[in-house]
Amino acid sequence: MIEALETLLLSLADDDLCMGHRHAEWIGLGPILEEDIAFASIAQDETGHAQAYYQILTDLGLRTPDEYGFHRAPAEYRCAHLVELPNFEYDYGFALMRHFLYDAAEQVKLQALRNSRYDPLAGLAERLLREEKYHWLHAQTWIHRLGRSTEEAHTRLKNALQMTWPYAWMLFEPLPYEAEMVEAGWTPPMAELRTRWLELIAPILQEVDLFPPAPSEEELSSLAGARSGRRSPYFEDLYREFTEVSASEPGAEW
Amino acid sequence: MPSLDPRITRAEPELWSLPERPLHPLEHWPTYEVFVLRTRGSHAQHVGSLHAPDPDMALVLAKEQYARRSQCVAVWVVPTEAIRWTPTEDEDLFQPATDKSYREPQGYLHTRERLEKYRDRLKPLPS
Amino acid sequence: MYGNLTVRPEDVENWGKKVDQENPEKLAEFEARIERGEKIEPHDWMPFEYRRQLIRLIEQHAHSEIIGALPEGTWITRAPNFRRKLALMAKVQDEVGHAQLLYSAAETLGKSREQMINDLLSGKSKYSNVFNYPAKTWADTAIIAWLIDAGAIINQTTNAKGSYGPYVRALERICWEESFHLKYGYDSVVYLATGTPKQRALLQDALNRWWRPIMHFFGPPDTASVHTEKLVKWKVKLATNDEMRQQFLDMYVPKIWELGLTIPDPNLRKNPETGKWEYSDPNWEEFWQVINGNGPCNKERLAVRRFAEEKGRWVREALLQPNARYVTPLA
Repeated sequence: MIEALETLLLSLADDDLCMGHRHAEWIGLGPILEEDIAFASIAQDETGHAQAYYQILTDLGLRTPDEYGFHRAPAEYRCAHLVELPNFEYDYGFALMRHFLYDAAEQVKLQALRNSRYDPLAGLAERLLREEKYHWLHAQTWIHRLGRSTEEAHTRLKNALQMTWPYAWMLFEPLPYEAEMVEAGWTPPMAELRTRWLELIAPILQEVDLFPPAPSEEELSSLAGARSGRRSPYFEDLYREFTEVSASEPGAEW
Repeated sequence: MPSLDPRITRAEPELWSLPERPLHPLEHWPTYEVFVLRTRGSHAQHVGSLHAPDPDMALVLAKEQYARRSQCVAVWVVPTEAIRWTPTEDEDLFQPATDKSYREPQGYLHTRERLEKYRDRLKPLPS
Repeated sequence: MYGNLTVRPEDVENWGKKVDQENPEKLAEFEARIERGEKIEPHDWMPFEYRRQLIRLIEQHAHSEIIGALPEGTWITRAPNFRRKLALMAKVQDEVGHAQLLYSAAETLGKSREQMINDLLSGKSKYSNVFNYPAKTWADTAIIAWLIDAGAIINQTTNAKGSYGPYVRALERICWEESFHLKYGYDSVVYLATGTPKQRALLQDALNRWWRPIMHFFGPPDTASVHTEKLVKWKVKLATNDEMRQQFLDMYVPKIWELGLTIPDPNLRKNPETGKWEYSDPNWEEFWQVINGNGPCNKERLAVRRFAEEKGRWVREALLQPNARYVTPLA
């Protein structure tokens, strides 16, 4: 059972860890000071959420949040490939679209997890939803505004969505041990969460004429395996960067 | 010397080949004034201003710039151009020229003296 | 974070004359108000030079904050653990936030944010020299967060006693937030100083690299600065460069020594007779070189800022309402 629990929590935590990291790349480079500040808060929140998920495992006598976050081997990470994608050309349309798709998924997951029969997770989900409320407001406001503004903005969002769509879909890739988790009442099946996620984002994307058809099976199968440790080609650089200092002096405290 | 920032290294060489295009007026959007309600039951307080494209976005942005640390239960935004003010130079508008103590509690400090002075009159009228 | 206002000789030429001719009666009223300790607010009459110098001061301060976000921003994605990563994100975010507050304060004096950023990008207006040096290792971020922020706090608490209302209000909040930066910086430095030999070496190296920029931080010595009686009288400049530098040395040299660090200046000592710190010439020629654009990172800093503005342009243009009208904020 502990493997199942660890898989569930690491999938949630590792997603937030890498998402926080990618969002943080924008700090100081945002499109306007006010938005730079808002997005930096979201980056902090995601990073803090990762830490809080790891802490549940720590409380069970497993590794510490820092050990999970900064001292694992690459194959031990369980994040979805969406959050590993770099901020390619520093296109804010890409950053916002990924943020929108990701935080919509967080809404759906956390709303479900607050009813989890694993109490520490249910309690944490309830708390995290407080900060997620802002993330979701921020994401929706931006997509709504930009999606109805200039042709350039619409095209950028469209391209970003095209690129991220199969990856976002795979945020709900079935987890290893999923049957056990569902049986124990810890989480609903991922496929069911995906349906709720689509229900949440479809009207918003449709309103700005951006809702795409489901990705093809080939697209999805090429991205499979993230939750069992298959990393995307982008993870290596990401990992090298966020462990650069922590790995430079084993055993040191910073 | 090459950048030591991995975020920036990724942006090179585009970094060095950007056109010199000055920002045009209003490119950073118009301004809004921000107010926060620190607690229920208190007055909203002006805390600063920000740039935003519209009122809804101003609210979203104000939340993190003006309420990310301090305690507060609500944020308000108002377009700066909707605000009318009296110039501080005209502060004499608010200084009375004559004695206005009649409308202050402090204008009624001698009531007790009067009462003590004529205490002998304080009896029921003959019927 | 910010250095000090450096007044150039050309700025003060013919000052007295122009100011007195402007409106003697209003000027007397204005100066009496400042003398009484009252604040000047945006819609008050003020001498042209007061407005001009304040715009320059606040604008430089704002530029220093957004450019100052870059050397430390370098290390956010490499921070070694959760606590440091979160704190560094929050700190750099605060700096962007301070720029936002300060640009607003400067805007109340009549210069738009766009104009200020244009002047930054063209090199016309300056920012603190210290941000034109690279943050080479994690230890550099710790030294910056501790000692540069310490210097900034000395400078900013001094400026917070100034006469211009919007600037004073912005500084109040900035000083409050920077006290977290200082604590975070000191905590990071202490962990390195009490860490492994490699960590301690990293820290000493970083101090060696940063000592000269720190000595430059408060600006050139008083003997080399031009007369600024007006700015003192108007409470725009509240302490001399040397006064603030001495205050910094008084407060922080003992703390640096306590950590077993060596300050890379064999002549640094407090003269028991004068009570003043004495130090080697920190190479003021280099200071002027850096201010004039020839520091190790000047080009990169401006290129990154231009990059950010350029990358954000389509976003800003997309949401700009056609009927938008600019009025200066009330701040």
